[in-house]
Amino acid sequence: MSKQNINVALIGNPNVGKTSVFNQLTGLNQQVGNYPGITVEKKVGFCKLPNNINANVIDLPGTYSLNASSADESVVIELLLNKKDKLFPDVIVVVSEVENLKRNLLLFTQIKDLEIPTILVINMIDRMQLKGISLDIPFLEEQLKTKIVLVSSRKKIGVEALKTLITTYKTISTEPCLDASSIDDDYFNTLRKTFPNQSLYKLWLVITQDVNFVDLNRKALEKQSFTKTNSELKKLQQKETIKRYQFINNTLKIGQKVDSAKATDFRSKLDRVLTHKVWGYLIFFVVLFGIFQSIFEWSKIPMDFIDSSFASLSSLTNQNLPPGAFTNLIAQGIIPGIGGILMFIPQITFLFLFISILEESGYMSRVVFLMDKIMRRFGLSGKSVVPLISGTACAIPAIMATRNIENWKERLITILVTPFTTCSARLPVYAIIIGLVIPDKYVFGILNLQGLTLMLLYILGFGMAILSAYMLNKVLQLNCKTFFVVEMPNYKLPMFKNVMITVVEKTKAFVFGAGKIILAISVILWFLASNGPSEKFRNAKTIITSKAENKSLSVLEIENKVAAYKLENSYIGLMGKTIEPAISPLGYDWKIGVAIISSFAAREVFVGTLATIYSVGGSDNENTIRNKMATETNPKTGEKIFNFASGISLLLFYAFALQCISTLAVTKKETNSWKWPLGQLVFMSSFAYIMALIAYQLLK
Amino acid sequence: MNFQEILTYVTLVIAVVFLVRKFFFKKKKTDKNCGEDCNCQ
Repeated sequence: MSKQNINVALIGNPNVGKTSVFNQLTGLNQQVGNYPGITVEKKVGFCKLPNNINANVIDLPGTYSLNASSADESVVIELLLNKKDKLFPDVIVVVSEVENLKRNLLLFTQIKDLEIPTILVINMIDRMQLKGISLDIPFLEEQLKTKIVLVSSRKKIGVEALKTLITTYKTISTEPCLDASSIDDDYFNTLRKTFPNQSLYKLWLVITQDVNFVDLNRKALEKQSFTKTNSELKKLQQKETIKRYQFINNTLKIGQKVDSAKATDFRSKLDRVLTHKVWGYLIFFVVLFGIFQSIFEWSKIPMDFIDSSFASLSSLTNQNLPPGAFTNLIAQGIIPGIGGILMFIPQITFLFLFISILEESGYMSRVVFLMDKIMRRFGLSGKSVVPLISGTACAIPAIMATRNIENWKERLITILVTPFTTCSARLPVYAIIIGLVIPDKYVFGILNLQGLTLMLLYILGFGMAILSAYMLNKVLQLNCKTFFVVEMPNYKLPMFKNVMITVVEKTKAFVFGAGKIILAISVILWFLASNGPSEKFRNAKTIITSKAENKSLSVLEIENKVAAYKLENSYIGLMGKTIEPAISPLGYDWKIGVAIISSFAAREVFVGTLATIYSVGGSDNENTIRNKMATETNPKTGEKIFNFASGISLLLFYAFALQCISTLAVTKKETNSWKWPLGQLVFMSSFAYIMALIAYQLLK
Repeated sequence: MNFQEILTYVTLVIAVVFLVRKFFFKKKKTDKNCGEDCNCQ
């Protein structure tokens, strides 16, 4: 019998044990090759098979699908589409792993549709018992139109059976799993007519790839792709993925049974607790509370240090630089404004440290899974969970992350409600107001009231997002469903380096993102607060001195009165006084009104604005921002401006109001209309105003 | 107008121009490596 040489391609998702199978098949007979024009490594090994067959086994880079978006993924698709390649496979072995079969089968069904003989290897079967998984292999083989081999490369089970099966590759069905034309009948009929002798799915892949191939010339096809725009092609790709998952779900519903009661390993036990319908939420609640309590507790000392350092810097600048307008701008405008953002670095750092640890440890995926259950009850897609959770950092990337939601109405609802999620920009506002109006006391010995309030505000934002989604869902009559796939990674100890990189990157983005805006606004605010249009402003000293003639006031007291009088008659004072009637029912004075308006640029600007206004309005540069806010009183009533009623009112206002111009811009961009962002602005602002009004009127 | 006042007005103009450019004339990124859906634009 003459020797036969065949090519066997090993393909699979990353981390399915593909290379272990490759090593089992080839032993030491392998070489690593960098092929011309390709910098991505692919390995080729040699394997002697039964029936006098020699195989070149090609270990290709791991990929999640055939929708290549990176160079290493394109290596796979390029080989599979190029019959002229000397390594073009006679048979493909798709390696999957028993714990993530659903996700792995997406790639399998795509490869199967290329009409090349394909074998499915289910690896890591030694974990089946531990995970309580049982498989109906004949059923799966029938549905997937393939042959399946159960392998444990760790325990060397199934490798010989795989070798034997490879030799029978000519008998393996090449029938596709999915009829490609079902993605879009009209479009695929056009393709079929234009290229009558080509495999439809191969054509589809060539048209839709994001990457440029090295060897494969697809110029001839590109004109055909003009019949659809890129975004239309993307939508069809998404539709294809949904159809594949529908097929996979239906297949696994019968072909795979998971008995969670049998799952005896640590991960499953932990999963059962962390995703439990009662314990799961309770644990999440405790974790959240621990985080918010720690944010307050651990940040106290560094925050006080930064706050007092900036107060001292402001005072030093005033004392050491030559007197004049620019010195005042630095001491009263720029330094307090920048201090107003930098003092929150410790809290932001701790927030991202905890979020990063939760993500790295694998717990966040369980939270997403838990939240998905809630979402569905309120008519939202599971895919909405990711934008809503990532909204805790910033609403802008979160709104952009809705792009993977296929259904337009679901996507629109998610875009509209995401700004309710408490973003990191709200944290400085919450932190300073909570610090002023909520006592730093413990109840039951462990529950810190400030931490508890912060957590309640996060829950309030999330709750409002879900409630709004529910209402919008009813109004917009949403009927379509989409699928949500979340990978449950193994639990692991967070890697210090990864955590630190995330913390540094996010904190830098917070400081530099808002920092430049705050700096610019501080300069403008200082100018508007230090200049005025009327004689009252220019003659403030004369007016106050003449009024104080009969009173026994110290020089410092007179200076303070002059500063306050000038501020009231400055440009910013006059602007603030104009809007005061609208905000006084909420318990705010004109200074808070100015801070609310300026914080429309970015919420963090609120604290910086107040810091600048209070610095201009007083002669004491050494006082910290928090002390200035704490001692600010209403000149008419003598009551503190930041009391419990006005504090709660402000917290509720910031919890619900859309105080972010960038969010409006990104909503406009994503919805391609001003109708939705303006509706979002009007609804959120009106709701925030009403809630703040009710809170103040009830609590004052 | 003294030197400090000139510096103050220059800083003020820079701040106003920065904010106007930031919010009203946002530059579009033209990174060829960015696709329509990669969230980097």
